[in-house]
Amino acid sequence: MRVRHLAVPLAGLAVVLAGVLAFGDLNGSLVYYLTPTEAVAQRADFDDGRRFRLAGSVVPGSVVEAGDTVEFNVTDDTTDVAVAHTGVPPQLFQAGIDVVVEGTWDGVVFRSDTMLVKHDENYYPPDEVAAEGTR
Amino acid sequence: MTGVIGYVGIVVAAVAAGVLSVSGAVGAAGSGRMGAVARVAARVLLAGAAVAMLALVGALLTDDFSVRYIAENHSRATPFPFDVATAWAALEGSIVLWVLVLAAFTAAVARTVGRDDRLGLSALAVLGAIALFFTVLVASVANPFQMVVPVPADGPGPNPLLQNHILMAVHPPLLYIGYVGLSVPFAFGMGALGLGDAGTEWLQRTRHWTLFAWTFLTAGVAVGALWSYEVLGWGGYWAWDPVENASFLPWLAGTAFLHSAIVQARRGVLKTWNIALLISTFALTILGTFLTRSGVVASVHSFTQSDVGPALLGFLLVVLTGSLGLFAARAHLVAGTRRIDRLISREGAFLVNNLLLSVFTFVVLVGTTYPIVLEAMTGAQVSVGRPFFDRFAIPLSLLLLAAVAVGPLLPYRAASPRVVWQRLRWPLLAGLTAGAALVVTGVAVASVVAVAILATIVVSSIVVDAVRSTDGLPGRRVTAWWRLARRNRGWWGGQLAHLGVAVTALAIAVTGAMGTEISATLGIGETTALGGYTLRYEGVVRRDEPNRTVDAAQVVVLRDDVEVATLQPRLNRYRNSRQPIASPAIRTTPTEDLYLALRRLTPDEVGIEAYRYPFMWLLWAGLALIVAGGGWALTGHRDRRVRAAPTRDAEPIGEPDQVEVLTDG
Repeated sequence: MRVRHLAVPLAGLAVVLAGVLAFGDLNGSLVYYLTPTEAVAQRADFDDGRRFRLAGSVVPGSVVEAGDTVEFNVTDDTTDVAVAHTGVPPQLFQAGIDVVVEGTWDGVVFRSDTMLVKHDENYYPPDEVAAEGTR
Repeated sequence: MTGVIGYVGIVVAAVAAGVLSVSGAVGAAGSGRMGAVARVAARVLLAGAAVAMLALVGALLTDDFSVRYIAENHSRATPFPFDVATAWAALEGSIVLWVLVLAAFTAAVARTVGRDDRLGLSALAVLGAIALFFTVLVASVANPFQMVVPVPADGPGPNPLLQNHILMAVHPPLLYIGYVGLSVPFAFGMGALGLGDAGTEWLQRTRHWTLFAWTFLTAGVAVGALWSYEVLGWGGYWAWDPVENASFLPWLAGTAFLHSAIVQARRGVLKTWNIALLISTFALTILGTFLTRSGVVASVHSFTQSDVGPALLGFLLVVLTGSLGLFAARAHLVAGTRRIDRLISREGAFLVNNLLLSVFTFVVLVGTTYPIVLEAMTGAQVSVGRPFFDRFAIPLSLLLLAAVAVGPLLPYRAASPRVVWQRLRWPLLAGLTAGAALVVTGVAVASVVAVAILATIVVSSIVVDAVRSTDGLPGRRVTAWWRLARRNRGWWGGQLAHLGVAVTALAIAVTGAMGTEISATLGIGETTALGGYTLRYEGVVRRDEPNRTVDAAQVVVLRDDVEVATLQPRLNRYRNSRQPIASPAIRTTPTEDLYLALRRLTPDEVGIEAYRYPFMWLLWAGLALIVAGGGWALTGHRDRRVRAAPTRDAEPIGEPDQVEVLTDG
């Protein structure tokens, strides 16, 4: 009697879980976050046009804007990856800033169509921001 | 000084919570004198929590930077009402708010608990235990009241995103009232389980609380979506983001409980299922708090790393093992022997509703927690994309909508095919007509047509129900119906909420499938076109405010070469942040929304994303109707005492099918 009360919902859960994993294509919906070093190391895994997110900082001096695309390198201080981004880059985009770009490998170039600028989680007293601004 | 008062308040509240828990448990075990102690303890708990919250607000209003929370989250330049809202905008303050809401619910419950009311006392014991955890949390790792030495002259102010729109001041309290309110049915359910009480008294006593909490939770989720749309500027309102899911999960489970509680009270079935559902709902509120408050997912909700995350995770484990252990040991005592006779009946419809909502909850839970589990096990950082959620959410929502359309028309026990056909034929005809009309007029999007058919069936079956229930009543039909709707608020509140569900579903389908967007970079005087609009950039206007500088792009909107509006998507630079925040500009008309989001802004060039969503306002209207339905049901006669289910004799007006026994008689 006692077992049954737990067993029925648990069996139901197991069936649903199996269904979700079997038909949900969870893995197909996963978007991986990789650093440039990981992205280069795992290029074979992601070579079939699989989308992933690449996170790194924009290498100063590498930014070239041309019409609808922006080309730049991102780095994790070990490996650099060339990125060709299509679309309007966000306001904060500039050399030295941390970005996350989403797209696919195209040979040795990463083609991205979505760019997120990592938001600075730190807030400062007003005078510090002002000092930063005048620097 | 304010800090000390606040801390004393929280310590008093913690002691009262401990006393409440013990006296409630002892009283529930049969000691007749503990009821009075528990009632006093509940009042002291509320007083202590109120002092703590008032101290926090007082310190914010008086710029008392000697209090750590104020020093870290406030600045002199923060304008009203954002300075008050700061009291719950950051981690510690939000938990103080949680404690205050829980204390208020507990004190209100205590007012209904009599001397020998063992069920009520056991519920108070559970509420006291929950309050003990949260008050100790505030008194220890989430203490906002620590002294800061030396006292800083000014502070950094709240997170810029949270001072960017007034909705952020409203969203947390709404959501917390919803989250915390669900502790009340959970506490009564656990109490009934502990006492081995197989009756439906606990369900009848918690009906109003559940409805109240659910209504606020719905409003909280809706306001969250509205905020996302109005403030974040990514052009949408729902992204299946973990923090959105955190509020949606308890809503799904709570909605399932709201329905299955009716069928238990009415027919005495699904008794253990209801308890299991309540345990899940409550655990999901704690999980949601953990997700949003621990920093385990990165978002506007996650604050800097602290020990609050591990504490909440530990509490979640305690809740789950404790309640499931109690369930395993005692569920046989409350289990009923009655079964659902036929699947094609009202009970069957409730069962289908519950299965769909449970599967929905489970899918969202898997998608939300999978990245956390995967990262903990393999270290790989992933996010579960929209396709996974949509793949399940769309078919499940369509099935749910079909259940909403048919369920309320089915009679209890067993429905003969003849009756079902009689009640369903006009709605079906209306639905198919609406679908055909859409296809003929050129709207051939499958999802829109499918939702339109179902939504029309829902709406027209509500109309049919209103007509059927006023048949043979004296006076004009509308007047007769209005009398019924006022009398039987539980039922008609439910129907109003169902109407809202239909409108919301239609709005989601239409805006999702028929919206258009472009992105463009415009120099001054340059134009771009979007769905009949022409957009022209005319430069930037700068405005200085105490806490920020606002750069407003001037975008003139033309329709058929006639100027209809100037939209000003803005870039706000807050004094406490090095990064500006973009605010979108929206023009709402009866037929569509035009939504402009800034990507980049210089004096002579603007990068914008422009979206056009047909009938966007329907979404907010639909959500408002759902909330209004909950509110209408809540305003029904409240009866705290146990009452027998009304019989046909006691309910001479209206259909027995419609009698929603829990709230009205």
